Amino acid sequence: MDVMRLYLGALAGQRRGVLVLLGWSVLEGVPAFLSGRLVALAVDRGFAAGRPLVGVGWLLVFAVVAVLGGFGLRQVFQHLGAVIEPMRDALVRVVVRGVLHDGTSHRRQPDASAVARITRHVEVVRDATAGVLVQARALLVTTTAALIGLVTTVADLAWLVVSPVVVALLLFALLLPSLARRQRDQVMADENSAEAAGTVLVGIRDVTACDAVREAGDGVGRTIDRQAEVAVRVAWANSLRGLVIAVGGFAPLALLVVAAPAKVASGQLTAGAVLGAVVYLSTSVQPALRRLADTTSTVVLRLMVALRRLSEAAPAPAPPAGDEVPDGHAVTMRGLTFGWGEHAEPVVRDLDLDLAPGDHLAVVGPSGIGKSTVAGLLTGLMPPRSGTVKLGGVPVHLVRPALRHERIALIPQETYLFTGTLRENLALFTPGASDEDLLAAVDAVGASELVARIGGLDAALGHAGAGLSAGEAQLLAVARVHACPASLVILDEATSHLDPAAEARVERAFAERGGILVVIAHRLSSALRAKRVLVMDGGPPLLGDHADLVRSSPAYAELMQAWLPAESVRPSY
Amino acid sequence: MAQPGDTLLVEAANHDRRWLLLVLNAALATTAGLLLPAALASTVDMALAGRYDPSTVLWLVSMVSIEVVGDAIGVVLAAAITAKVTAWLRHRVAAHLLGLGHPSPFAAGDAVSRVTGDSAIAGGVSVILIVLTVTVLSSVGAVVALALMDWRLAAVFLLSVPLATLLVRTHMRLTADDVATYQTVSGDLSARLLDAVAGLRTIAASGTAEQESERVLRPLPTLAAAGIGMWRTQAKMIWRAGLLLPAVELAVLTAAGFGVVAGRLSIGDLLATLGYVALGMGIVGQLPMLTTFARTRASATRLVEVLDTPLPHRDAPGPPANPGDLELHDVSLDGALHDVHLRIPAGTFTAVVGRSGAGKSALASIIGGLSTPDSGEVRRDGTVGYAFERPALLGATVGEAIRYGADAGKRRVRAACVAAQVHDVVVRLPDGYDTPMADTPLSGGEAQRLGLARALARDPDVLVLDDATASLDMVTEATVDKAIEAALPGRTKVVVTHRAATARRADLVVWLVDGRVRATGSHEALWLDPGYRAVFTGGDA
Repeated sequence: MDVMRLYLGALAGQRRGVLVLLGWSVLEGVPAFLSGRLVALAVDRGFAAGRPLVGVGWLLVFAVVAVLGGFGLRQVFQHLGAVIEPMRDALVRVVVRGVLHDGTSHRRQPDASAVARITRHVEVVRDATAGVLVQARALLVTTTAALIGLVTTVADLAWLVVSPVVVALLLFALLLPSLARRQRDQVMADENSAEAAGTVLVGIRDVTACDAVREAGDGVGRTIDRQAEVAVRVAWANSLRGLVIAVGGFAPLALLVVAAPAKVASGQLTAGAVLGAVVYLSTSVQPALRRLADTTSTVVLRLMVALRRLSEAAPAPAPPAGDEVPDGHAVTMRGLTFGWGEHAEPVVRDLDLDLAPGDHLAVVGPSGIGKSTVAGLLTGLMPPRSGTVKLGGVPVHLVRPALRHERIALIPQETYLFTGTLRENLALFTPGASDEDLLAAVDAVGASELVARIGGLDAALGHAGAGLSAGEAQLLAVARVHACPASLVILDEATSHLDPAAEARVERAFAERGGILVVIAHRLSSALRAKRVLVMDGGPPLLGDHADLVRSSPAYAELMQAWLPAESVRPSY
Repeated sequence: MAQPGDTLLVEAANHDRRWLLLVLNAALATTAGLLLPAALASTVDMALAGRYDPSTVLWLVSMVSIEVVGDAIGVVLAAAITAKVTAWLRHRVAAHLLGLGHPSPFAAGDAVSRVTGDSAIAGGVSVILIVLTVTVLSSVGAVVALALMDWRLAAVFLLSVPLATLLVRTHMRLTADDVATYQTVSGDLSARLLDAVAGLRTIAASGTAEQESERVLRPLPTLAAAGIGMWRTQAKMIWRAGLLLPAVELAVLTAAGFGVVAGRLSIGDLLATLGYVALGMGIVGQLPMLTTFARTRASATRLVEVLDTPLPHRDAPGPPANPGDLELHDVSLDGALHDVHLRIPAGTFTAVVGRSGAGKSALASIIGGLSTPDSGEVRRDGTVGYAFERPALLGATVGEAIRYGADAGKRRVRAACVAAQVHDVVVRLPDGYDTPMADTPLSGGEAQRLGLARALARDPDVLVLDDATASLDMVTEATVDKAIEAALPGRTKVVVTHRAATARRADLVVWLVDGRVRATGSHEALWLDPGYRAVFTGGDA
């Protein structure tokens, strides 16, 4: 999704608000439009003509106009929120949806700091957009108003005074891309340096333990030096930009004073007109251009950088969803092979497996061998590299999404609890469930005591399950799935923080619930309870029941032997 | 009043002497800027007189050129000075923070903000001081210039500034309410997003991304309302502030008008008046610089806090009575350990057990020299390798993360990974050992085994494993144990553990309670004590 387009679209959606802003801008530009002319009148008719009161009178008119302009600015700010806030809403919306739709990628998942960064970028976009709408718009209004006023005051010399400004603005626009590049380099250098420092300072224990203080310091030092280099390069670009604008702002004045004497001598220009023109140039046009160079371009660049960063979090186009309807609940896997990437060793090779309702499969194997991949394949979140996974005779990733989500439930190791009542949390997958159903599920997985302790279904949960231990959070996540109608349940180390007895109760509860149960095991005791066991240890997959495997597979027997004596010295379990 | 950071600021400013150049440049540009309105006035008078005088125009052009070129040079020079001083501060502070080691007295996030934020703010010291001085000088200069034209102008200016300020001063402060609401709601939204991100797999598998997005976004209308409120409050404040300059301009212009009538001033002088008023008011716009300067000093003080924290003395430990042994004599560490006396014979496998908070990790970090005890003495010879429950894996690629801080070759890295049972995981990554860490999704167990491989790759004499296999299932843990024994036979191993099975395999168990050694001995002997059993079963002693 192109965030830039979305951003502009969101602003365009506020067309009415923007028009209102522009309307008030006209009022804001009135002082700039009249400044030179009123000063000219005050001088021509008043002070230079020996009538000071008339002069003061025109200056008072100027004062009134200034108040009017201020009022225009006030109205602009009043209506700013109506444009900015809906735009921010739209941005937050798309970014949040993007982050939450990105659950299937293998990229490192966003963490707390990534979320903080997103929040910060959204705020930058908000402030910078306001900055552009206030400043850039005001500068444009002021410059245009002053130039119009100028042209009407010294019509003969109009081209002389306006063209340098236009040329300078064009040059400025031409310089912007290179400036933007340098500014972007600077932002990247800043982020790199902060990240480098952050990584080693967060890992200071490991740096010390690895005796790597020098190596860590050198790494951070390189990013610091790079940051300094880039800062100076940006300054060169800024300096050039300032020069162009300053020359563009002064040239009209110089040309005016060179061309004016002849016109004044011939009576084509009055003293007031010359004075007025200089007032336009020196009090409106020049300061506006200077501010344009100093701040506006920085604001625009900040805006671009933040938008670009946000686009990284925005959703990628979703792959086309299938629309197949499965016939029955059986799962069949044929010749299944899967790995992280093209060059990587496959983690699952040539797996054939049939699962029918009532089946209970445990997947065991060393940590990190890729047991979770099975969960990804079964839920249709990852397509297999070769082979097929079918649900009711239909490739699972092509099943109509609503049906797939209704029939298949995955409980991963990391739990999802959100702020809200316990009831809302438990009914996440079954919004219509009655309290009885929820409590029955809670009871089945052995969470009754926990639910009673935290205050029943009406209890409010805080952010990230605050106040609950990791095991308690897992128990609630498990109860939630027990209450839902899924006919294929996958526990992916979902009970890793429970003690063995509680884990056994959870697995029994799901086995008795009917349907297909797949347990990706954290402890080997899970294998003893399963009807069948799939052993993954990098080679071809081994499949059988516990007794078979102990007899037929030396690898499995060895795994069990290593584990059993250790367990036997833990009498209290 | 002097602040602790001031000395550092002086030192920092003098680190790059180009500030002298910046001062010289600013002096020229400011002088030209002050002469500019007068030059403009005479040029306009010349034009109004209907004659063309090249020297008058030339003078104006030279003043403008000096100012414009001076400004351009100033921008680059200021950035170069700030960048150099900032980098110098960052190097110093980062090096010092790294030297402070573990446990660092500065929380990681705070430490990072001192390196990145505070150093940058303090690094601007020379430029800020010069800008402040220039602003004051040019404002004063503008008033003097007004007085030179006509003392009445200066008087009107000096009177009208406070009056106008009074007139437009608004008693409105940005109402804290909207800002507070905005920040609270924004924080709530972030927390909701973070919750959902933690449960991303659940959301993906259940296809509830849309529904959960709505849940995260529920506070959005409140946020928008607070935001609109903030803009409205600003509207009330800002427009009056914008009237300040026109008010003063008109007051002084009126006075100048009377001067023209009385013949004291030329028409060009009216323009000069406007120019000097703008210059004189410059100080008002730069008032926030005072706050910036206060922040500069505060930041410097925060840097000094780091730089003044003494580095721990890391003398090599004394030799033990028997080579290869580990000896702790009356070791205490700030609240974590008290009078620990321990001897661990060379080549043994020692398990450190105890409830959480008993001081196990503190003991582990003292034993291997990761932390220095407050009192007492550690005697040890040989090198130490550490592995942790949650290792921070540093280095750009997987391979670099394993050889971090050591000069281990490819072969040793590979062997270490094989022993740590993580080689099979690494070769399944897209680019094997060359896969960037940033693209490597690691489970807790995988990270632990990479951390373990990192310790093994150093080929240490003593291996300290601080709960380093906690996320591994027990089969993998047992396999790792065997593989370590095979890869590094006969090394001294100190293992912090929560598992009875691990303690059972140990030659010696050290049982800690509240930072003191409660007992040492074999697991079987200690098992008879119900208090010891309770360490593993979680029951009451």
